[in-house]
Amino acid sequence: MSNSILSIRNLRVSIQSRDGSLNEITRDVSLELAPHEFVSIVGPSGSGKTTLLRAASGLRPPNGGTVVFNQMPVTEVPKGLAIVFQEYNKSLFPWLSIFKNVAMGARDCSSHERSERVTKALAQVGLSGFETRYPWELSGGMQQRAALARAMVSDPQILMMDEPFASVDALTRNHLEDVVQKLWDSSTFSALMVTHDVGEAVYLSDRVLVLSARPSTVLAEIKIDLERPRSHFETKQSKRFVELAAEVLEKVEEAGRQSVQGKELI
Amino acid sequence: MISRKQNQTRQRKLSRLAVGWLGLVIVAALWQLLAVTLHTSVFPTFIASLVAAWKVVTSSALRVDIIPSLERTAVGFLISVIIGITAGMIIGHYEVVRDWTSAVVDFMRSLPTPLLVPIAIVIFGINGRMVVATIVSAAIWPILINTANGTSTIEPTMIDTATTYGLRGRTLFWRVVLPAASPQIFAGLRIALSVSLAVMVVAEMLGGGSGIGYFIANAQQSFNIKGSYGGVIVLGCLGWIFDTLFLSFERRLLSWQRGTLGGSFDV
Repeated sequence: MSNSILSIRNLRVSIQSRDGSLNEITRDVSLELAPHEFVSIVGPSGSGKTTLLRAASGLRPPNGGTVVFNQMPVTEVPKGLAIVFQEYNKSLFPWLSIFKNVAMGARDCSSHERSERVTKALAQVGLSGFETRYPWELSGGMQQRAALARAMVSDPQILMMDEPFASVDALTRNHLEDVVQKLWDSSTFSALMVTHDVGEAVYLSDRVLVLSARPSTVLAEIKIDLERPRSHFETKQSKRFVELAAEVLEKVEEAGRQSVQGKELI
Repeated sequence: MISRKQNQTRQRKLSRLAVGWLGLVIVAALWQLLAVTLHTSVFPTFIASLVAAWKVVTSSALRVDIIPSLERTAVGFLISVIIGITAGMIIGHYEVVRDWTSAVVDFMRSLPTPLLVPIAIVIFGINGRMVVATIVSAAIWPILINTANGTSTIEPTMIDTATTYGLRGRTLFWRVVLPAASPQIFAGLRIALSVSLAVMVVAEMLGGGSGIGYFIANAQQSFNIKGSYGGVIVLGCLGWIFDTLFLSFERRLLSWQRGTLGGSFDV
Protein backbone atom coordinates (compact mmCIF):
# COMPACT_ATOMS: atom_id res chain seq x y z
CA MET A 1 0.00 0.00 0.00
CA SER A 2 1.91 2.97 -1.23
CA ASN A 3 -0.71 5.51 -0.26
CA SER A 4 -0.49 4.81 3.44
CA ILE A 5 0.92 7.60 5.54
CA LEU A 6 2.42 5.34 8.16
CA SER A 7 3.65 1.87 7.47
CA ILE A 8 4.81 -0.40 10.27
CA ARG A 9 6.26 -3.71 9.14
CA ASN A 10 7.19 -6.68 11.32
CA LEU A 11 8.01 -4.43 14.24
CA ARG A 12 9.86 -6.11 17.06
CA VAL A 13 10.72 -4.36 20.33
CA SER A 14 12.62 -5.70 23.29
CA ILE A 15 13.38 -4.01 26.56
CA GLN A 16 16.54 -4.65 28.48
CA SER A 17 15.65 -5.77 31.95
CA ARG A 18 17.74 -5.02 35.02
CA ASP A 19 19.79 -8.19 34.86
CA GLY A 20 20.76 -7.31 31.30
CA SER A 21 18.64 -9.91 29.53
CA LEU A 22 16.44 -8.85 26.65
CA ASN A 23 12.73 -8.98 27.34
CA GLU A 24 10.69 -9.28 24.17
CA ILE A 25 7.67 -6.98 24.35
CA THR A 26 6.49 -6.84 20.77
CA ARG A 27 7.24 -9.78 18.50
CA ASP A 28 5.71 -8.99 15.14
CA VAL A 29 3.33 -6.11 14.52
CA SER A 30 2.47 -4.74 11.07
CA LEU A 31 0.08 -1.91 10.38
CA GLU A 32 -0.78 0.40 7.50
CA LEU A 33 -2.38 3.72 8.33
CA ALA A 34 -4.17 5.47 5.46
CA PRO A 35 -4.51 9.25 5.23
CA HIS A 36 -7.26 10.53 7.52
CA GLU A 37 -7.84 7.13 9.00
CA PHE A 38 -8.47 6.57 12.70
CA VAL A 39 -6.95 3.36 14.03
CA SER A 40 -6.89 2.14 17.61
CA ILE A 41 -4.73 -0.51 19.14
CA VAL A 42 -6.19 -2.35 22.10
CA GLY A 43 -4.78 -5.19 24.10
CA PRO A 44 -4.53 -6.54 27.61
CA SER A 45 -2.35 -4.76 30.15
CA GLY A 46 1.29 -5.51 29.58
CA SER A 47 0.85 -6.25 25.89
CA GLY A 48 3.34 -3.52 25.12
CA LYS A 49 0.98 -0.93 23.66
CA THR A 50 2.96 2.05 24.92
CA THR A 51 6.26 0.51 23.83
CA LEU A 52 4.80 -0.09 20.40
CA LEU A 53 3.71 3.53 20.13
CA ARG A 54 7.11 4.77 21.26
CA ALA A 55 8.80 2.71 18.55
CA ALA A 56 6.25 3.74 15.93
CA SER A 57 6.75 7.43 16.70
CA GLY A 58 10.54 7.29 16.67
CA LEU A 59 10.95 7.94 20.39
CA ARG A 60 12.91 4.69 20.60
CA PRO A 61 14.49 2.50 17.95
CA PRO A 62 12.84 -0.85 17.26
CA ASN A 63 14.85 -4.06 17.58
CA GLY A 64 13.57 -5.30 14.28
CA GLY A 65 11.27 -4.30 11.45
CA THR A 66 10.69 -0.91 9.90
CA VAL A 67 8.57 2.17 10.41
CA VAL A 68 8.01 4.37 7.37
CA PHE A 69 6.31 7.74 7.63
CA ASN A 70 5.59 9.59 4.37
CA GLN A 71 7.92 7.27 2.43
CA MET A 72 10.74 8.13 4.85
CA PRO A 73 12.15 5.65 7.39
CA VAL A 74 11.59 6.85 10.94
CA THR A 75 14.76 7.24 12.99
CA GLU A 76 13.65 10.02 15.29
CA VAL A 77 10.31 11.72 15.84
CA PRO A 78 9.57 13.18 12.39
CA LYS A 79 8.00 16.54 11.65
CA GLY A 80 4.29 16.17 11.09
CA LEU A 81 3.92 13.66 13.89
CA ALA A 82 2.41 14.76 17.20
CA ILE A 83 1.97 12.71 20.34
CA VAL A 84 -0.46 13.09 23.21
CA PHE A 85 0.66 11.24 26.31
CA GLN A 86 -1.45 9.71 29.02
CA GLU A 87 0.15 11.74 31.78
CA TYR A 88 -0.83 15.29 30.90
CA ASN A 89 0.56 16.50 34.23
CA LYS A 90 4.00 15.31 33.16
CA SER A 91 3.84 16.31 29.53
CA LEU A 92 2.77 19.92 30.05
CA PHE A 93 5.65 22.06 31.26
CA PRO A 94 4.65 23.42 34.67
CA TRP A 95 6.83 26.52 34.37
CA LEU A 96 5.13 27.68 31.17
CA SER A 97 1.71 29.30 30.87
CA ILE A 98 -0.93 27.45 28.84
CA PHE A 99 -0.24 29.78 25.91
CA LYS A 100 3.48 29.07 25.96
CA ASN A 101 2.92 25.36 26.43
CA VAL A 102 0.67 25.20 23.39
CA ALA A 103 3.06 27.43 21.43
CA MET A 104 5.71 24.71 21.82
CA GLY A 105 3.89 22.91 19.02
CA ALA A 106 4.62 25.74 16.60
CA ARG A 107 8.22 26.56 17.37
CA ASP A 108 9.19 27.02 13.74
CA CYS A 109 6.54 29.63 12.96
CA SER A 110 6.95 33.39 13.10
CA SER A 111 5.70 34.82 16.37
CA HIS A 112 2.66 36.33 14.67
CA GLU A 113 1.60 33.08 13.03
CA ARG A 114 2.36 31.19 16.18
CA SER A 115 0.09 33.29 18.30
CA GLU A 116 -2.68 33.02 15.70
CA ARG A 117 -2.40 29.25 15.63
CA VAL A 118 -2.33 28.96 19.40
CA THR A 119 -5.42 31.14 19.74
CA LYS A 120 -7.22 29.01 17.16
CA ALA A 121 -6.19 25.69 18.73
CA LEU A 122 -7.20 26.83 22.20
CA ALA A 123 -10.59 27.85 20.82
CA GLN A 124 -10.97 24.43 19.16
CA VAL A 125 -10.53 22.64 22.47
CA GLY A 126 -12.58 25.17 24.41
CA LEU A 127 -9.76 26.75 26.37
CA SER A 128 -10.02 30.34 25.16
CA GLY A 129 -9.38 32.69 28.05
CA PHE A 130 -6.96 30.37 29.82
CA GLU A 131 -3.86 31.56 27.98
CA THR A 132 -2.12 33.07 30.97
CA ARG A 133 -2.97 30.29 33.42
CA TYR A 134 -0.44 27.73 34.54
CA PRO A 135 -1.13 23.99 34.12
CA TRP A 136 -1.71 23.37 37.83
CA GLU A 137 -4.54 25.89 37.81
CA LEU A 138 -6.49 23.71 35.35
CA SER A 139 -8.44 20.51 35.94
CA GLY A 140 -7.12 17.23 34.54
CA GLY A 141 -9.49 17.27 31.58
CA MET A 142 -8.54 20.84 30.76
CA GLN A 143 -4.86 20.00 30.95
CA GLN A 144 -5.34 17.14 28.50
CA ARG A 145 -7.23 19.51 26.20
CA ALA A 146 -4.27 21.87 26.38
CA ALA A 147 -2.01 18.96 25.40
CA LEU A 148 -4.35 18.27 22.47
CA ALA A 149 -4.22 21.92 21.45
CA ARG A 150 -0.43 21.77 21.51
CA ALA A 151 -0.51 18.76 19.20
CA MET A 152 -2.97 20.53 16.87
CA VAL A 153 -0.84 23.66 16.70
CA SER A 154 1.93 21.67 15.03
CA ASP A 155 -0.57 20.89 12.24
CA PRO A 156 0.25 17.15 12.29
CA GLN A 157 -0.30 14.65 9.52
CA ILE A 158 -0.57 11.99 12.14
CA LEU A 159 -1.65 12.22 15.75
CA MET A 160 -0.54 9.46 18.09
CA MET A 161 -2.26 9.12 21.43
CA ASP A 162 -1.14 6.92 24.30
CA GLU A 163 -4.13 6.17 26.51
CA PRO A 164 -5.06 9.84 26.27
CA PHE A 165 -8.15 9.63 28.48
CA ALA A 166 -7.03 7.08 31.05
CA SER A 167 -6.29 9.62 33.78
CA VAL A 168 -9.64 11.43 33.86
CA ASP A 169 -13.10 10.64 35.22
CA ALA A 170 -15.79 9.01 33.05
CA LEU A 171 -17.74 12.16 32.20
CA THR A 172 -14.62 14.08 31.27
CA ARG A 173 -13.55 11.11 29.22
CA ASN A 174 -16.75 11.21 27.13
CA HIS A 175 -16.24 14.90 26.60
CA LEU A 176 -12.60 14.50 25.61
CA GLU A 177 -13.50 11.72 23.16
CA ASP A 178 -15.84 14.10 21.42
CA VAL A 179 -13.20 16.83 21.41
CA VAL A 180 -10.85 14.43 19.63
CA GLN A 181 -13.57 13.28 17.25
CA LYS A 182 -14.39 16.86 16.33
CA LEU A 183 -10.75 17.76 15.80
CA TRP A 184 -10.29 14.73 13.61
CA ASP A 185 -13.50 15.42 11.65
CA SER A 186 -12.59 19.00 10.92
CA SER A 187 -9.03 18.21 9.91
CA THR A 188 -7.15 15.81 7.68
CA PHE A 189 -4.74 14.08 10.03
CA SER A 190 -4.61 10.35 10.65
CA ALA A 191 -4.89 9.12 14.20
CA LEU A 192 -3.27 6.18 15.93
CA MET A 193 -4.56 5.63 19.44
CA VAL A 194 -3.47 3.12 22.01
CA THR A 195 -6.03 2.29 24.68
CA HIS A 196 -7.29 -0.47 26.92
CA ASP A 197 -10.84 0.86 26.76
CA VAL A 198 -12.75 -1.16 24.17
CA GLY A 199 -15.76 1.18 24.03
CA GLU A 200 -13.55 4.17 23.41
CA ALA A 201 -11.64 2.41 20.63
CA VAL A 202 -14.83 1.35 18.85
CA TYR A 203 -16.47 4.74 19.33
CA LEU A 204 -13.63 6.70 17.72
CA SER A 205 -12.00 4.38 15.20
CA ASP A 206 -12.31 3.22 11.63
CA ARG A 207 -10.36 0.13 12.52
CA VAL A 208 -9.36 -1.57 15.76
CA LEU A 209 -6.32 -3.82 16.09
CA VAL A 210 -6.26 -6.25 18.99
CA LEU A 211 -2.83 -7.19 20.29
CA SER A 212 -2.07 -10.55 21.80
CA ALA A 213 -0.43 -10.91 25.18
CA ARG A 214 3.28 -10.23 25.45
CA PRO A 215 5.30 -10.78 23.27
CA SER A 216 2.61 -9.25 21.14
CA THR A 217 1.41 -9.86 17.62
CA VAL A 218 -1.75 -8.59 15.93
CA LEU A 219 -4.44 -11.03 17.05
CA ALA A 220 -7.35 -9.51 15.16
CA GLU A 221 -8.33 -6.57 13.04
CA ILE A 222 -11.89 -5.34 13.23
CA LYS A 223 -13.36 -2.79 10.87
CA ILE A 224 -15.69 -0.33 12.52
CA ASP A 225 -18.45 0.51 10.05
CA LEU A 226 -20.39 2.90 12.26
CA GLU A 227 -21.75 6.05 10.69
CA ARG A 228 -20.05 9.34 11.38
CA PRO A 229 -20.39 11.68 13.10
CA ARG A 230 -20.92 9.55 16.15
CA SER A 231 -22.46 10.58 19.44
CA HIS A 232 -22.44 9.13 22.90
CA PHE A 233 -26.22 9.04 23.08
CA GLU A 234 -27.04 7.49 19.73
CA THR A 235 -23.98 5.56 18.59
CA LYS A 236 -23.36 3.84 21.89
CA GLN A 237 -27.02 2.70 22.07
CA SER A 238 -26.98 1.29 18.55
CA LYS A 239 -27.08 -2.43 17.97
CA ARG A 240 -24.07 -2.33 15.68
CA PHE A 241 -21.95 -0.57 18.29
CA VAL A 242 -22.80 -3.17 20.90
CA GLU A 243 -21.99 -5.99 18.47
CA LEU A 244 -18.65 -4.50 17.48
CA ALA A 245 -17.69 -3.74 21.06
CA ALA A 246 -18.53 -7.32 22.03
CA GLU A 247 -16.44 -8.64 19.18
CA VAL A 248 -13.42 -6.56 20.18
CA LEU A 249 -13.86 -7.40 23.83
CA GLU A 250 -14.00 -11.10 23.05
CA LYS A 251 -10.68 -10.85 21.22
CA VAL A 252 -9.11 -8.85 24.03
CA GLU A 253 -10.22 -11.46 26.53
CA GLU A 254 -8.86 -14.20 24.33
CA ALA A 255 -5.55 -12.37 24.35
CA GLY A 256 -5.77 -12.07 28.11
CA ARG A 257 -6.29 -15.80 28.50
CA GLN A 258 -3.18 -16.43 26.41
CA SER A 259 -1.18 -14.43 28.84
CA VAL A 260 1.17 -16.78 30.67
CA GLN A 261 1.27 -14.66 33.77
CA GLY A 262 -2.24 -14.33 35.06
CA LYS A 263 -1.40 -11.20 37.00
CA GLU A 264 -0.82 -9.33 33.79
CA LEU A 265 -4.54 -9.42 33.10
CA ILE A 266 -6.60 -6.29 33.33
CA MET B 1 -14.94 40.10 48.05
CA ILE B 2 -11.60 39.30 46.51
CA SER B 3 -10.00 42.46 47.80
CA ARG B 4 -11.26 41.66 51.27
CA LYS B 5 -9.67 38.26 51.05
CA GLN B 6 -6.41 39.80 49.86
CA ASN B 7 -6.65 42.28 52.70
CA GLN B 8 -7.03 39.49 55.19
CA THR B 9 -4.05 37.69 53.73
CA ARG B 10 -1.97 40.82 53.93
CA GLN B 11 -3.04 41.41 57.52
CA ARG B 12 -2.19 37.87 58.48
CA LYS B 13 1.22 38.24 56.87
CA LEU B 14 1.85 41.52 58.66
CA SER B 15 0.83 40.13 62.01
CA ARG B 16 3.11 37.14 61.50
CA LEU B 17 5.96 39.48 60.65
CA ALA B 18 5.19 41.56 63.74
CA VAL B 19 5.23 38.48 65.95
CA GLY B 20 8.58 37.49 64.47
CA TRP B 21 10.07 40.86 65.33
CA LEU B 22 8.52 40.76 68.75
CA GLY B 23 10.33 37.49 69.39
CA LEU B 24 13.58 39.19 68.44
CA VAL B 25 12.88 42.08 70.81
CA ILE B 26 12.18 39.66 73.66
CA VAL B 27 15.45 37.79 73.07
CA ALA B 28 17.32 41.12 73.02
CA ALA B 29 15.63 42.19 76.26
CA LEU B 30 16.52 38.88 77.94
CA TRP B 31 20.10 39.29 76.76
CA GLN B 32 20.20 42.80 78.20
CA LEU B 33 18.69 41.66 81.50
CA LEU B 34 21.05 38.72 81.85
CA ALA B 35 24.13 40.80 81.04
CA VAL B 36 23.14 43.52 83.50
CA THR B 37 22.51 40.93 86.22
CA LEU B 38 25.74 39.00 85.63
CA HIS B 39 27.69 42.21 85.23
CA THR B 40 30.84 40.61 83.85
CA SER B 41 33.28 41.95 81.28
CA VAL B 42 33.14 38.77 79.17
CA PHE B 43 29.41 39.20 78.49
CA PRO B 44 28.57 42.72 77.30
CA THR B 45 24.99 43.93 77.27
CA PHE B 46 22.89 43.86 74.14
CA ILE B 47 22.95 47.63 73.82
CA ALA B 48 26.72 47.78 74.25
CA SER B 49 27.10 45.08 71.55
CA LEU B 50 24.75 46.98 69.26
CA VAL B 51 26.80 50.14 69.75
CA ALA B 52 29.96 48.13 69.01
CA ALA B 53 28.32 46.75 65.84
CA TRP B 54 27.47 50.28 64.77
CA LYS B 55 31.08 51.30 65.39
CA VAL B 56 32.25 48.41 63.23
CA VAL B 57 30.16 49.43 60.24
CA THR B 58 30.97 53.12 60.58
CA SER B 59 34.70 52.69 61.10
CA SER B 60 37.45 51.80 58.64
CA ALA B 61 36.56 48.15 59.35
CA LEU B 62 33.77 48.52 56.82
CA ARG B 63 36.30 48.98 54.03
CA VAL B 64 39.08 46.81 55.44
CA ASP B 65 37.04 43.85 56.68
CA ILE B 66 33.35 43.82 55.85
CA ILE B 67 33.49 44.66 52.16
CA PRO B 68 36.30 42.17 51.44
CA SER B 69 34.31 39.49 53.27
CA LEU B 70 31.24 40.25 51.19
CA GLU B 71 33.29 40.11 48.01
CA ARG B 72 34.86 36.79 48.95
CA THR B 73 31.50 35.29 49.86
CA ALA B 74 29.91 36.52 46.65
CA VAL B 75 32.78 35.37 44.43
CA GLY B 76 33.07 32.00 46.18
CA PHE B 77 29.32 31.45 45.99
CA LEU B 78 29.13 32.42 42.32
CA ILE B 79 32.02 30.15 41.34
CA SER B 80 30.30 27.33 43.23
CA VAL B 81 27.05 28.08 41.40
CA ILE B 82 28.65 27.97 37.96
CA ILE B 83 30.72 24.85 38.55
CA GLY B 84 28.09 23.14 40.69
CA ILE B 85 25.20 23.56 38.26
CA THR B 86 27.27 22.66 35.19
CA ALA B 87 28.89 19.61 36.74
CA GLY B 88 25.64 18.63 38.45
CA MET B 89 23.74 18.66 35.17
CA ILE B 90 26.40 16.57 33.45
CA ILE B 91 26.53 14.10 36.33
CA GLY B 92 22.74 13.95 36.53
CA HIS B 93 22.25 13.55 32.81
CA TYR B 94 24.84 10.89 32.01
CA GLU B 95 24.53 7.72 34.01
CA VAL B 96 28.10 6.70 33.14
CA VAL B 97 29.49 9.94 34.58
CA ARG B 98 27.32 9.44 37.65
CA ASP B 99 28.71 5.96 38.23
CA TRP B 100 32.31 7.15 37.87
CA THR B 101 32.00 10.22 40.06
CA SER B 102 29.68 9.14 42.86
CA ALA B 103 32.44 7.85 45.15
CA VAL B 104 34.62 10.90 44.54
CA VAL B 105 31.73 13.27 45.24
CA ASP B 106 30.75 11.40 48.39
CA PHE B 107 34.33 11.51 49.65
CA MET B 108 34.91 15.16 48.84
CA ARG B 109 31.70 16.44 50.33
CA SER B 110 32.28 14.56 53.58
CA LEU B 111 35.54 16.39 54.25
CA PRO B 112 35.12 18.86 57.13
CA THR B 113 35.87 22.30 55.74
CA PRO B 114 38.19 23.58 58.52
CA LEU B 115 40.45 20.69 57.54
CA LEU B 116 40.90 22.23 54.11
CA VAL B 117 41.95 25.66 55.39
CA PRO B 118 45.59 24.69 56.17
CA ILE B 119 45.89 23.08 52.73
CA ALA B 120 44.41 26.16 51.08
CA ILE B 121 46.82 28.37 53.03
CA VAL B 122 49.74 26.32 51.73
CA ILE B 123 48.49 26.66 48.16
CA PHE B 124 47.23 30.26 48.14
CA GLY B 125 48.82 31.90 51.17
CA ILE B 126 47.08 34.09 53.73
CA ASN B 127 44.79 36.15 51.57
CA GLY B 128 41.35 36.50 50.04
CA ARG B 129 41.97 33.91 47.34
CA MET B 130 42.48 31.27 50.00
CA VAL B 131 39.11 32.22 51.54
CA VAL B 132 37.36 32.05 48.15
CA ALA B 133 38.91 28.65 47.41
CA THR B 134 37.79 27.30 50.77
CA ILE B 135 34.26 28.62 50.23
CA VAL B 136 34.09 26.92 46.83
CA SER B 137 35.39 23.65 48.23
CA ALA B 138 32.46 23.53 50.63
CA ALA B 139 29.60 25.37 48.90
CA ILE B 140 29.88 23.52 45.61
CA TRP B 141 28.56 20.19 46.98
CA PRO B 142 25.00 21.04 47.96
CA ILE B 143 24.56 22.72 44.56
CA LEU B 144 26.15 19.90 42.60
CA ILE B 145 24.27 17.14 44.39
CA ASN B 146 20.88 18.84 44.21
CA THR B 147 21.36 19.71 40.55
CA ALA B 148 22.40 16.15 39.74
CA ASN B 149 19.37 14.79 41.61
CA GLY B 150 16.99 17.21 39.94
CA THR B 151 18.41 16.41 36.53
CA SER B 152 18.43 12.64 36.89
CA THR B 153 14.90 12.43 38.27
CA ILE B 154 13.29 14.49 35.52
CA GLU B 155 10.10 12.88 34.19
CA PRO B 156 10.81 10.77 31.06
CA THR B 157 7.47 11.91 29.65
CA MET B 158 8.70 15.49 29.83
CA ILE B 159 11.81 14.61 27.82
CA ASP B 160 9.67 12.63 25.34
CA THR B 161 7.39 15.62 24.90
CA ALA B 162 10.28 18.00 24.36
CA THR B 163 11.87 15.60 21.85
CA THR B 164 8.59 15.36 19.97
CA TYR B 165 8.56 19.12 19.51
CA GLY B 166 12.10 19.15 18.21
CA LEU B 167 14.01 20.22 21.30
CA ARG B 168 17.42 18.56 21.26
CA GLY B 169 20.87 18.97 22.73
CA ARG B 170 21.62 22.30 24.29
CA THR B 171 18.13 23.72 23.71
CA LEU B 172 16.67 20.74 25.54
CA PHE B 173 19.02 21.40 28.45
CA TRP B 174 18.25 25.10 28.73
CA ARG B 175 14.55 25.04 27.99
CA VAL B 176 13.47 21.85 29.74
CA VAL B 177 16.04 20.15 31.96
CA LEU B 178 17.17 23.30 33.77
CA PRO B 179 13.69 24.66 34.54
CA ALA B 180 12.45 21.19 35.50
CA ALA B 181 15.31 20.80 37.96
CA SER B 182 15.19 24.40 39.21
CA PRO B 183 13.17 23.82 42.39
CA GLN B 184 15.78 21.31 43.55
CA ILE B 185 18.64 23.48 42.34
CA PHE B 186 17.32 26.40 44.37
CA ALA B 187 17.09 24.27 47.49
CA GLY B 188 20.80 23.48 46.99
CA LEU B 189 21.66 27.13 46.32
CA ARG B 190 20.07 28.24 49.56
CA ILE B 191 22.08 25.74 51.58
CA ALA B 192 25.23 26.71 49.68
CA LEU B 193 24.66 30.37 50.50
CA SER B 194 24.61 29.81 54.23
CA VAL B 195 27.55 27.41 53.90
CA SER B 196 29.46 30.14 52.02
CA LEU B 197 28.94 32.59 54.86
CA ALA B 198 29.94 30.12 57.54
CA VAL B 199 33.03 28.95 55.67
CA MET B 200 34.04 32.53 54.94
CA VAL B 201 34.12 33.26 58.67
CA VAL B 202 36.01 30.09 59.56
CA ALA B 203 38.61 30.57 56.82
CA GLU B 204 39.15 34.20 57.76
CA MET B 205 39.51 33.33 61.42
CA LEU B 206 42.15 30.74 60.64
CA GLY B 207 44.09 32.78 58.09
CA GLY B 208 42.24 35.38 56.13
CA GLY B 209 44.58 38.26 56.89
CA SER B 210 41.49 40.50 56.88
CA GLY B 211 37.72 40.22 56.81
CA ILE B 212 34.92 39.98 59.32
CA GLY B 213 36.05 36.59 60.58
CA TYR B 214 39.58 37.91 61.07
CA PHE B 215 38.11 40.97 62.79
CA ILE B 216 36.10 38.88 65.25
CA ALA B 217 39.03 36.58 66.03
CA ASN B 218 41.35 39.55 66.40
CA ALA B 219 38.98 41.45 68.67
CA GLN B 220 38.58 38.41 70.86
CA GLN B 221 42.33 37.80 71.11
CA SER B 222 42.97 41.44 72.09
CA PHE B 223 40.26 41.26 74.76
CA ASN B 224 38.02 43.60 72.81
CA ILE B 225 35.00 41.57 73.86
CA LYS B 226 32.43 44.19 72.88
CA GLY B 227 34.08 44.44 69.48
CA SER B 228 33.81 40.73 68.83
CA TYR B 229 30.13 40.74 69.86
CA GLY B 230 29.63 43.68 67.52
CA GLY B 231 31.23 41.66 64.72
CA VAL B 232 28.92 38.76 65.44
CA ILE B 233 25.86 41.01 65.20
CA VAL B 234 27.10 42.47 61.92
CA LEU B 235 27.65 38.96 60.59
CA GLY B 236 24.17 37.89 61.65
CA CYS B 237 22.67 40.86 59.83
CA LEU B 238 24.67 40.06 56.70
CA GLY B 239 23.44 36.49 56.73
CA TRP B 240 19.87 37.66 57.15
CA ILE B 241 20.20 40.16 54.27
CA PHE B 242 21.70 37.50 51.99
CA ASP B 243 18.94 35.04 52.77
CA THR B 244 16.18 37.61 52.28
CA LEU B 245 17.58 38.72 48.94
CA PHE B 246 17.96 35.14 47.85
CA LEU B 247 14.40 34.21 48.80
CA SER B 248 12.87 37.13 46.93
CA PHE B 249 14.93 36.16 43.88
CA GLU B 250 13.82 32.56 44.20
CA ARG B 251 10.17 33.49 44.63
CA ARG B 252 10.30 35.53 41.46
CA LEU B 253 11.97 32.80 39.44
CA LEU B 254 9.88 29.93 40.73
CA SER B 255 6.58 31.81 40.78
CA TRP B 256 5.13 29.15 38.49
CA GLN B 257 5.16 26.64 41.30
CA ARG B 258 1.91 25.74 42.94
CA GLY B 259 1.05 27.92 45.88
CA THR B 260 3.76 30.51 45.45
CA LEU B 261 1.74 32.43 42.88
CA GLY B 262 -0.83 33.87 45.25
CA GLY B 263 1.93 35.21 47.46
CA SER B 264 0.18 33.90 50.57
CA PHE B 265 2.74 31.17 50.94
CA ASP B 266 5.58 32.39 53.08
CA VAL B 267 8.69 30.48 53.96
